[in-house]
Amino acid sequence: MERKILEFTNLLRKAGVRVSVAEGIDAFNALDELSLDERDVFKDALRTTMVKRSDDIPTYDRLFDLFWSGFHDALREQMEQALGGMGADFDLEDLLENLRQALENMDVDLSDFAQAMLSVDINQLEQLIREAGEGAGVANIQNMLQIGFFSRRIMEQLDFEGAGGQLRELMDQLRASGMSEEELGELGQLMGAIQDAVRRSVRRFTELELDQRNHDYLERFRRESLQEKSFYNLTEEDVRKMRELVNRLAQKLKSIVSMRRKRQRRGKFDLKHTMRRNMAHGGIPFELVFRQKRKEKPKLIVLCDISSSVSNVSRFFMQFAYSLQDTFTKIRSYVFVAELGEVTQLFRDNDIYEALDQALDGGDVINPYTRSNFGMAFHIFWRDFLSTVDSRTTVVVIGDARNNYNDAKAWCVREIQKKARNLIWINPESPGAWGFGDSVMDKYLPYCDVAEECRNLKQLSRLVDHLIIR
Amino acid sequence: MKGLKMFDTVDDVEKRLLDQGYICGKNIATIVYLASKLKKPVLVEGPAGVGKTELAKVVAQALNQKLLRLQCYEGLDESKALYEWEYSKQLLYTQMLRDKIGEVIKGTTTLRDAAEKIGEQDDVFFSERFVVPRPLMTAITSEEPVLLLIDEVDKSDPEFEAFLLEVLSDFTVSIPEIGTIHAKHIPLVFLTSNDAREMTDALKRRCLHLYIDFPEEAQELEILRMKVPGIDDRLAQDLVELIQRIRGLDLKKAPSISETLDWARALMVLNADKLDEAMVSDTLNIILKHQGDIAKAQTELSKLLQQKAAAAKAEQPQQVDPPVEKKSILH
Ligand SMILES: Nc1ncnc2c1ncn2[C@@H]1O[C@H](COP(=O)(O)OP(=O)(O)OP(=O)(O)O)[C@@H](O)[C@H]1O
Ligand SMILES: [Mg+2]
Repeated sequence: MERKILEFTNLLRKAGVRVSVAEGIDAFNALDELSLDERDVFKDALRTTMVKRSDDIPTYDRLFDLFWSGFHDALREQMEQALGGMGADFDLEDLLENLRQALENMDVDLSDFAQAMLSVDINQLEQLIREAGEGAGVANIQNMLQIGFFSRRIMEQLDFEGAGGQLRELMDQLRASGMSEEELGELGQLMGAIQDAVRRSVRRFTELELDQRNHDYLERFRRESLQEKSFYNLTEEDVRKMRELVNRLAQKLKSIVSMRRKRQRRGKFDLKHTMRRNMAHGGIPFELVFRQKRKEKPKLIVLCDISSSVSNVSRFFMQFAYSLQDTFTKIRSYVFVAELGEVTQLFRDNDIYEALDQALDGGDVINPYTRSNFGMAFHIFWRDFLSTVDSRTTVVVIGDARNNYNDAKAWCVREIQKKARNLIWINPESPGAWGFGDSVMDKYLPYCDVAEECRNLKQLSRLVDHLIIR
Repeated sequence: MKGLKMFDTVDDVEKRLLDQGYICGKNIATIVYLASKLKKPVLVEGPAGVGKTELAKVVAQALNQKLLRLQCYEGLDESKALYEWEYSKQLLYTQMLRDKIGEVIKGTTTLRDAAEKIGEQDDVFFSERFVVPRPLMTAITSEEPVLLLIDEVDKSDPEFEAFLLEVLSDFTVSIPEIGTIHAKHIPLVFLTSNDAREMTDALKRRCLHLYIDFPEEAQELEILRMKVPGIDDRLAQDLVELIQRIRGLDLKKAPSISETLDWARALMVLNADKLDEAMVSDTLNIILKHQGDIAKAQTELSKLLQQKAAAAKAEQPQQVDPPVEKKSILH
């Protein structure tokens, strides 16, 4: 059992849930306090000690089912099938009762495993198969080809053959002691069915063990978690959930920023001001004054591509930007596909989600249903809005630079960068694709202070933290 | 006040909380039970109004322990949570003891000697007499076991969280002038959070984690029946069904349990015995605060009522009563 829990802990870690050693120990302590006949209690106890982020709960639930319930359910199903095949007037309780009475005055040697089969005790069978699995080293299974091998070893560990022999012997004794042929027939049929069920279950057990070690599975799992899910294939439901997530991440960044600021702000001890401040106390320094370090807040200008291939990156970036508004003196935002227009006012007049929806729909300033033309968009910005850029401004461009073979007009980007403090480009495509096909990213690249790939929330929040608010 | 016996089993928790008027599932009961056994704080997270604060209160009642509540807010600092020196009292004593102080420094000639003499008496002025304990300190020094509720910890500053972390790990307080005080009993601690800010991993590692979500339909109905006795059965059912559906909409703020209860009470005052479109529309502002949310809920309400009407018709085609005019007394 302990080993099993450690394994499960590792599985959680592999799936990206952070579980510390101390928390693993807490889990053991918790299990000591509980009676674990109920699966839900067991599940809650492990959860409350090891999984502390609500976002990780769905991951936990799925892994728990895979790891703990998968085999239990499979075994139960097999057993039910075995009993189901017994004919309409078969009464298990009756048979077991008769058996118990007969066994009382008999001296038979039955292994735990044989007894568990005889009494159709699913929990006991599960326990024994798991133990046999450990003995057989099934944890080392690597691939499908080994399923047969490990299943056989588990059967050996269970001493499946031996138990079968014991059961046959028992039947002989029962016959000798006068049990009716009819009942013996039933018992024989039942034991046969149960042994088949166990054989199949052991195989299933081995398969599940392999599943748990299967890295593809974990990989898929990780991809599906929203943090790392690509912006390209979000469902509407995802977008809604993500909105919350962005919000949460923004709050987190905000508190990190405020801590950082507080630390920075507290400068050197300022004697002169301390004396002056404490004149009222007769010069006794009750209140100390520290010199304030003042750091200029940056201005932010965001140019968002809102064509459908990039709109989610733009959406979440802007949500970040506006959630972190107090980090900047001013945010101005522009949207473009081919034309470019300013949507700053939208964010003043509406609440953030409303503004986002409108902005991504062109915000009444541009026509969103055209083909992307970055050259044209930059040219409009250069012509009409260049004066808003100054040496304290960070300009962020979000787009895939897929220009439909139009003129890239890279010189406009050059002129913008010249005036700005820096220019950051966020591109949902990976650098390998930059400059290929109709991508003109390579033409803009020389004028970007930073250009980063960003395709999921994790990358985006890291970017926002490192590049924009630091 | 003597505390009652600790919880025996998970079921015992469930039952004793129910006795206090709190309906909880196995999940909550298991974690409360573990907290009491392992002596670990519980971090309770979840949306607003799902009964996080209430949980701490009823656990205290069920154990007959005193509840000490520390309400967190931005700017809350150590001194307000732990202890403060009572300056005015110290000053007052200094005034009143002026003559005695004169005696103490009698015979000294230099300022330095006088200060030295007074310094020897320091501990008179910096003793427990002048300490005003705040909730954390009270919890630690209490003779009886108590329950400490650190409410809305997410509203506090990150610096305060770091301080809490220390207190929660060893339950001792050091007052430089007095010394270190160790807790007589490790109190049960509940921290609640609305997730305005994510708590650090360090804090989370020290706590058991409980996530309370909006209740399932059946459980919410149970809560409603218990908290609003006498409510018409059909009204209660329809109400909860509607609330559950409203929570499924894309809202700025989903209605909480307490809002469900308020709403039910309001509808009772209006003598409602079933959901009536006009009346519900007039009172939606009890459960929803944003205009956009109210509009969405209204659409959902019409849908639900239509479905219900259609279902009723299919079941038993009978004469429909003429609609009764009911005036809104709210607004
Ligand atoms: N499980 C429950 N059983 C009975 N009553 C409940 C339950 N859950 C919530 N309530 C009722 O809902 C009210 C609101 O709960 P409470 O104030 O504890 O919510 P909260 O989660 O602390 O909210 P907030 O996050 O806004 O502080 C309580 O006063 C109580 O009447
Ligand atoms: Mg509360």
